[in-house]
Amino acid sequence: MKGILSEAIDDLSDVLWERAAARKSFHEFHDLLVNAIPSSILLVDRNLQVLFANRNFLEKTFHGKDNIVGKRLSQVFPKVILEELGLEASIRSVFDNGGSTQGQKLTYRAPGVPLRTYYYRMIPVIWTANVDAVLLLMEDVSEQVQLSKEVHCAERHLASVVDSASDIVLSTDNEGRILTWNPAAERISGYRVDDVRGRSLFEYLAKEHREDAKAFLSILKFQGGSRTADWVLLTADEGSVFISWVFSTMKDEASQTTGLVAVGRDQTERRKSEVQRLQREKLTALGVMAGGIAHELRNPLAVCSSAAQFLMNDQIKPEFRRECAEMIQKGITRASAIIENVLTFARPSDDAEFAPLDILGVLDEMSRLVAYEAKIRKIEMVTDLPNERLLVNGNRGLLQQVFINLFLNAIKAMSMGGKLRASAECSGGELLIRVADTGCGIPQEALAKVFDPFYTMLPMGTDTGLGLSVCYSIVKEHMGTIEVESTAGVGTILMVRLPLVADEAPI
Amino acid sequence: MEMTRSLFLIIDDEPALCRLLEHLLLQEGCATKSARSGCEALDLVKRFRFRLAFMDVKLPDADGIDLAGRLRELDPGLPIMLVSGSLFEDDVDLKKALADGLICGFIRKPYKHEEIRNATGCGRLH
Repeated sequence: MKGILSEAIDDLSDVLWERAAARKSFHEFHDLLVNAIPSSILLVDRNLQVLFANRNFLEKTFHGKDNIVGKRLSQVFPKVILEELGLEASIRSVFDNGGSTQGQKLTYRAPGVPLRTYYYRMIPVIWTANVDAVLLLMEDVSEQVQLSKEVHCAERHLASVVDSASDIVLSTDNEGRILTWNPAAERISGYRVDDVRGRSLFEYLAKEHREDAKAFLSILKFQGGSRTADWVLLTADEGSVFISWVFSTMKDEASQTTGLVAVGRDQTERRKSEVQRLQREKLTALGVMAGGIAHELRNPLAVCSSAAQFLMNDQIKPEFRRECAEMIQKGITRASAIIENVLTFARPSDDAEFAPLDILGVLDEMSRLVAYEAKIRKIEMVTDLPNERLLVNGNRGLLQQVFINLFLNAIKAMSMGGKLRASAECSGGELLIRVADTGCGIPQEALAKVFDPFYTMLPMGTDTGLGLSVCYSIVKEHMGTIEVESTAGVGTILMVRLPLVADEAPI
Repeated sequence: MEMTRSLFLIIDDEPALCRLLEHLLLQEGCATKSARSGCEALDLVKRFRFRLAFMDVKLPDADGIDLAGRLRELDPGLPIMLVSGSLFEDDVDLKKALADGLICGFIRKPYKHEEIRNATGCGRLH
C-alpha cells in the first residue's frame, strides 16, 4: 500500500507540486486517495501525538468523525493494546533507528464487536534529515484470517477422515510414487509414512501383481474414473495381506491427471469368513449326497464282508478262496476311491489364495462325487471333457462349490430321473463348461431371478442353500460369466465361462 | 422239480454281490438266477417261478420298492426280501412296503450270511 501511495505521490508531485494553482486540487486528491484505500493510516510525531488519521482508521477504531489530530496515542488506542503490543516503544524505536518495522499481527476485540485482526507496519516518514513522523499502516485482515481458519479447519477435518479411516487411503503421483499414506496403511502394512513416501507403490505389491498393477494404472491414467483390483500388499514383517483396491484419478483445475488415490480394504477377515461359509456349504452338499455316498460305500463293504465270511469257512474250494480274496481287495480299493472323492471335496481348505489349477480335473472329481447321488436317483450321468490340462487362475474350494451346486441343482430338477450331462470346450482363451439336465426346467418369468441371492425354486424348508447366486459370485470372482438357458418341462443348461491362463508348470 | 422248488432270484447291479449271494445260496442247496436291473428282473419273473427274490433297493433303471410292485403284478405270490445299503429300518417307504405286505423283510448291507440263510426260510414252499 505504501508503494502505491508513494508512487502516486511521486508521479503527481512532478506535475502538480510546482503549480500552486494545482495545490488545492492535489490536497483534495490526496485526501480522496488516503480515504479511499482500504487500509488504516495513522501519522504520529515524535511526541506520539497524532498528525493525521485517514477515514478508514477513524472508522475501524470507532472514532467516527472525531478529530483525533493532536491527541496522544494513549488517547487513541485502548490501554490494553498499547501495553500488549508495546506500540509506543516500537514507534519510538522507528524514530530512533529510521527503519521500518516488520509486519505484525494485532488482534483486538472492541467492546460489543467481533474480534478483528490487523496486520500493521510502522514506516518512518523523513521530510527533513531526521525522521519527522512515523506512519502506522494497518490492514484489517480479519476476513482473510477467518477464511484461512476455515480452510485449515476443512483440511483438518479431511485429514482426520483420512486418518481415522479403517481402510488404507493413499495417494501417488502419476508414476505411482507414494505421496500420502494414512495411519490405516501404516497399521496394515507395518510401514511408516516416512518409509514409503516417494517410493513406488508397486514395490509394496506382491511380485505377481506388479506388472498387472502397472498396466492397470497406465490405463486408468488415460481413461480416468475409478477401477477396482485385488492385489496383495507386502508387509514390513515380510508377510502379505490380501487387499481389495479402488483406484481413482486426481485431477487438477485443468482436468489433467495429477495422480492417483487408492482406497484399500484388508480382505483377510472377509476371506476367513468366506472360507467358513464355503465349509458350511460343503457340509450341506455332503448332507445331500450322503445317501448316495453311503449306498456306494456299502456295496463294496457288503462284498468284502460276504467274501470274508466265506474265507472263514475251511470247507471252500481253493479257487473260490482266491476269488473271495480278490473281491475283498477290489472292494477295499473301490471303497477307498469313494472316500478319496469325498475327502477331496470335504476337507477344509484354509487356503483362500488363487492359483493356476487344472480346471477339468476339479470338474471331473466333482462329477465322480455327485455320480453316487445321481445313480440312486436314476439319473444317467455323462461327462464329456476334453483330455487336456487346462488351467484357470482360481481357488479350488470355490470352484468345487460351483460345480457341486450346478450338479446338485440339476439332480434336484430331475426328481423322476433323467440325464445329467457335463461337458467342456475350449475356445478363444476361455473354457465353456455346460451342465445340462433333462429336468423340470425353469419358468421363463423366473429365469432372470435365478442368480438372486434370496430366490429359490424349491418349496420352503427344502432349500439346501446351494444357490446359483453363490455360483454367480464365485464365477465373477474368477473373472468369468455364468448364464442359464431353460425350457420348462425340457431341461436346463447352465453355462460357465472361465478365462484360461497359460500352462507354465511342467506336467 | 427240485430246481423249481428252490429257485431264488437275486436282483443287484453289483456283479460281485450277485456272485457271492449265488455261492451262498448254492451252499444251501438252492438254485439262483441273477438280474442286474429292473428290466432283467421283470423278464426273469415272467419266465420262472422263484421261491423268493433278494432285491437291492437302488437299481440303475428302477427303485426297489416300485419294482417290487411291478414284480408282484406279474407274480402276486412272490416273496421279496430287500437288501440295501441305503435304507434304514425306520424309513417311511420301507415301513409302508412291509405293512402292505409288498416285501417280506429287509436286510441291510453289509449282511451276515446267517441273515441270508434265515431269509431263505421266508420263501414260499410251492
